[in-house]
Amino acid sequence: MASYDLTPQIAPNLDRHLVFPLLEFLQERQLHPDEQILKAKIELLNKTNMVDYAMDIHKSLYHTDDVPQDMIERRAEVVARLKALEDAAAPLVSFLQNPNAVQELRADKHYNLQMLNDRYQIGPDQIEALYQYAKFQFECGNYSGAADYLYQYRALCTNSERGLSALWGKLAAEILMQNWDIALEELNRLKEIIDSKSFSSPLNQVQSRIWLMHWSLFIFFNHENGRTQIIDLFNQEKYLNAIQTSSPHLLRYLATAFIVNKRRRPQFKDFIKVIQQEQCSYKDPITEFLTCVYFYYDFDGAQKKMRECEEVILNDPFLGKRVEEGNFSTVPLRDEFLENARLFIFETYCRIHQRIDMGIFMCSKGAC
Amino acid sequence: MASRFWTQGGSDTEEEESDFEDEIENVGAAETTGTAAGSRYLQANASDSDDSDGQKRVVRSAKDKRFEEMTVTVDQMKNAMKINDWVSLQESFDKINKQLEKVMRVTESDRVPNLYIKCLIMLEDFLAEALANKEAKKKMSSSNHKALNSMKQKLKKNNKQYEELINKYRENPESEEDKHEDEDEDEESDGSGSEFEDPSQLGESTDEEDETEEPDDDAADGAWEKKLSKKDKLMDREFKKDPSEITWDTVNKKFKEVVAARGRKGTGRFEQVEQLTFLTKVAKTPAQKLEILFSVISAQFDVNPGLSGHMPINVWKKCVQNMLVILDILVQYPNIVVDDMVEPDENETQKGADYNGTIRVWGNLVAFLERIDNEFFKSLQCIDPHTREYVERLRDEPMFLVLAQNVQEYLERVDDLKSAAKVALRCVELIYYKPQEVYDAMRKLAELSEAADGEKDCDEPKVEESRGPSAFVVTPELVSRKPTFPENSRSLMDILVSLIYKNGDERTKARAMLCDIYHHALFDEFSIARDLLLMSHLQDNIQHMDVSTQILFNRAMAQVGLCAFRVGLIAEGHGCLSELYSGGRVKELLAQGVSQSRYHEKTPEQERLERRRQMPYHMHINLELLEAVHLICAMLLEVPNMASNTLDSKRKIISKTFRRLLEVSERQTFTGPPENVRDHVMAATRALCKGDFQKAFDVINSLDVWKLLRNQENVLEMLKAKIKEEALRTYLFTYCSSYESLSLDQLTKMFDLTEAQTHSIVSQMMINEELHASWDQPTRCIVFHDVEHSRLQALAFQLTEKLSVLAESNERAVEARIGGGGLDLPLRRRDNQEYAAGPAAVGGRWQDFTFTQGRQGTSGRSGYSAGGRPLALGQAAAAGYSRDRSGKSRGTGGYYGRTGSGMRGSQMDASARMVSLNRGVRG
Repeated sequence: MASYDLTPQIAPNLDRHLVFPLLEFLQERQLHPDEQILKAKIELLNKTNMVDYAMDIHKSLYHTDDVPQDMIERRAEVVARLKALEDAAAPLVSFLQNPNAVQELRADKHYNLQMLNDRYQIGPDQIEALYQYAKFQFECGNYSGAADYLYQYRALCTNSERGLSALWGKLAAEILMQNWDIALEELNRLKEIIDSKSFSSPLNQVQSRIWLMHWSLFIFFNHENGRTQIIDLFNQEKYLNAIQTSSPHLLRYLATAFIVNKRRRPQFKDFIKVIQQEQCSYKDPITEFLTCVYFYYDFDGAQKKMRECEEVILNDPFLGKRVEEGNFSTVPLRDEFLENARLFIFETYCRIHQRIDMGIFMCSKGAC
Repeated sequence: MASRFWTQGGSDTEEEESDFEDEIENVGAAETTGTAAGSRYLQANASDSDDSDGQKRVVRSAKDKRFEEMTVTVDQMKNAMKINDWVSLQESFDKINKQLEKVMRVTESDRVPNLYIKCLIMLEDFLAEALANKEAKKKMSSSNHKALNSMKQKLKKNNKQYEELINKYRENPESEEDKHEDEDEDEESDGSGSEFEDPSQLGESTDEEDETEEPDDDAADGAWEKKLSKKDKLMDREFKKDPSEITWDTVNKKFKEVVAARGRKGTGRFEQVEQLTFLTKVAKTPAQKLEILFSVISAQFDVNPGLSGHMPINVWKKCVQNMLVILDILVQYPNIVVDDMVEPDENETQKGADYNGTIRVWGNLVAFLERIDNEFFKSLQCIDPHTREYVERLRDEPMFLVLAQNVQEYLERVDDLKSAAKVALRCVELIYYKPQEVYDAMRKLAELSEAADGEKDCDEPKVEESRGPSAFVVTPELVSRKPTFPENSRSLMDILVSLIYKNGDERTKARAMLCDIYHHALFDEFSIARDLLLMSHLQDNIQHMDVSTQILFNRAMAQVGLCAFRVGLIAEGHGCLSELYSGGRVKELLAQGVSQSRYHEKTPEQERLERRRQMPYHMHINLELLEAVHLICAMLLEVPNMASNTLDSKRKIISKTFRRLLEVSERQTFTGPPENVRDHVMAATRALCKGDFQKAFDVINSLDVWKLLRNQENVLEMLKAKIKEEALRTYLFTYCSSYESLSLDQLTKMFDLTEAQTHSIVSQMMINEELHASWDQPTRCIVFHDVEHSRLQALAFQLTEKLSVLAESNERAVEARIGGGGLDLPLRRRDNQEYAAGPAAVGGRWQDFTFTQGRQGTSGRSGYSAGGRPLALGQAAAAGYSRDRSGKSRGTGGYYGRTGSGMRGSQMDASARMVSLNRGVRG
């Protein structure tokens, strides 16, 4: 089933840290040899500051207690750098940790900057240091700290580019902390900025949209309302264009969302046309299922595809989320998907049939 | 008789005269003495039997007159010497210098006439005598004395130029003289650009003359070569007696002189090329050589003055070689910069090879390259494609590609990427239309010709060495003389095209994109070609581009249409091709021949323009194949469409062209066996209408255009499957009223389809409400429901339809008002335009179709939208953010399934409206 694994396509569009959950999932599903995944993890960690974690993985991968020298060196370096950044940002951090002082801040950004400068001698340098410190924290894996600092940084920063980066950082941190509600807020904020901002080139804008969509997968498949919202987001013209241009694999998630959503029929028709059109650039069992039912009216084929879909869903890090209930572990999305898929088949089948032999139908449709 | 009198003084002319007399006697027995006497000097003319050639005689006598004038002056000088009159002598001297200039211009030689030299010697001697005779000097009047002094200075200055000649003459007056005279005459006959030979040589060179008179290129070339050798001798004399004496200045002066003569009346074009080529050999610095080489190439371009003809092929080849030498120099001396923006210093080229700073030389490599390419293209246009010559000419293509690749490489190195993109475009335009087989053949040819060239190259320099002195600036062959081609033409295209996309200007990019699309389509990659076409938005603004780009666009569209057909996308194929055929001007639109229009005559001017933009034969898209594909696509769409609404078939028409043809063929009282493509398709249509797929396929299969397809079998297989499907649909539409139920098995058997296919097709028809029926699963039957509309219902349907049309036009009016009114105006204007706008207008409309086609996507037949309104809305919305790929992206809003295949027709209508709406919004 590894052929339907989308990780290689998705990972380049994610933040380094966001790939970890995917790798964790893959490790759990045992789709790839353990060794490969561990290696991939080390590879990932090499560019971050989570050196301790990398050391652990190294030990378990090679079954030794020795760690390479460069990792140890790197660790020392990271610690030193952290210290330096902490010092640089210390005045502002201590100010922000003082509740009385924070109360002095007002909605007016300029006033705040002025006030900080006058009374606490905190200038642009310190604010910049806060950003660097937050970023470093994030890279060390301290997501909650990073999220807090970034939030505060955004209140103070004047540079809009930096503000945008801070927003991306905040979103990543919230996703990694699994604060879905807050993450969703951040996501919407980011989306507004991307849509309204004038980018230097349309290409950049499309790229930002692609990133946004990839990151949003975490949120939409965990947030309770996510499945409707994913349709709202992905099915917008601009976003659909972006999907078709550079990342057709996202169609899988949109297709799944459409199938499990009963109330989206008008858009659904359009969506099938899109899938039709993109057949040459992307297809997997889920999209094929839809073409079988709605284009070829090939119900036996649809049956087969449905079974494949089940596999795909179980092996997809976003779709195959497990819920533990006592001793049972279920994948809620799979059940919903299958139910709706059967409904689709049956609905269409009935539209073109005058008489149906229930017996045969039951047999052929299996567990219906 | 005047000349006889004037030449009394000069002993040499006397001799010469007697020579002529003999010759005239020898040659011209038939000629009257009158002509002989009248044209003493015109020995060539006299000997020429072709007396009626008036123009040449004029040239000749003008020259003669100059000589006579000169002789008169010399005589005057002699007289003045006798009486020791320095004042008049001085005047005469000035006069003779002026006359010399004229003579030189008329004869176009760069050698001074002997008469003049003799006169100089005479003067010199006389002057020395006068200076020595102090007493006589004292006796002179003051004005005379003054004249003597100034004369002394002038003569000294003047004689320096001719020192060599004077010395030579002094050394050996007689023999030199004879030879000189002889050659002088040769020179003259060459110089005037005529092909007459000296009578003295007539006997020896009759064969040569015969050759010359043949219009054949090669023969002319031969004659030309011979002449040059004489010319070379001449040049030698002037420059080569003592190589050390040649300075940059002399070369430069000569160069300026030759260049100044360019374009003047009476300047021989070949001679100029030859003179300049010689100069390249004696050039003192690389920069100078480069400068002269540029002029050589310009002069070579001048060889063919007309717009319609093409450059002689051997000149073209030489031109390419010269370009390569230029590149050699540029590679060897990277400090030399070629530029056409600034006028470099007068003496910029004086800087030698060891000069370190940048040297600027005027020139434009890209312009030259483009010109060479144009000449190549033109020659292919002119040569009859069915001759060997054409094939031979095509073999020169690798030669050009070498040059283009080298120029591009050079430009990339000097970081002039914009120009490099232009050069890359030229390469792309040579490659894009080649299928892989042709490309492979070209690669092989390039390798072969390399080997052959190698041998020739060894010979050639030797010949050159022997002819002239070894060049001062020796240029080793640094740039490769062999093109490098990747295995796959696609990869070559990718490299070139991506360079162009990055650096090219608008037009270059657009053309490259079209070539790219064409090439993708040629390789059966329909979806890529379609995406490129839609993403580039070329269709939107193609009508603003130049005609040749429009032709390229039409070609690309035709190829995309063929490609769509080959991969089995009938509707798309039809969308691409239908517009091309709607006007009946395919030939014109593809520039593959001039079509005669019955309704308006073209002016000669227009016709010439049209001829000039014709595609060379090897680039043609086969018109029969194109027509067959178009008609078959139309048939497959139109036949079920006609069957589905027999009652008002007039209103929902997919292909007007097809309908018209069908009507014509139905009107015939007797239909013979099919002969051309059209007849075949019509015969197939008749069979298909009855649901007889086998016969329909057989008729179409018997067309011989299928030989032209690469994967003939697959395409025919696909075609057969499509015909079966459409036959099934047609059958169901036509005969559904006769059945109450129909078993799946029987249908399957009848149309030789698999059960699943049949089931799928019938289900689609049911879902789309084209067929009022449903399945009966236990018995595996189709049960037809008799749906008869009552009169009221039918009227209600009509009413709703009309209302929707009304609502839509209303909406359109509003849109036009809001979105800027220039909606009808540009359309009408375009229609009124002459030919030039023809393809544009078509391109525009055509584009619209595929535009919608693209939005409809690969839908095949399932979802054609039924309603005009939602479509229009969707379109309007799409227009807003059309920048990124909206064209392709979305099947537009609300389609209600298919309520009858007639909806196809209405969809087409809607689409046409949609686009004009779209335009309104944008405009």
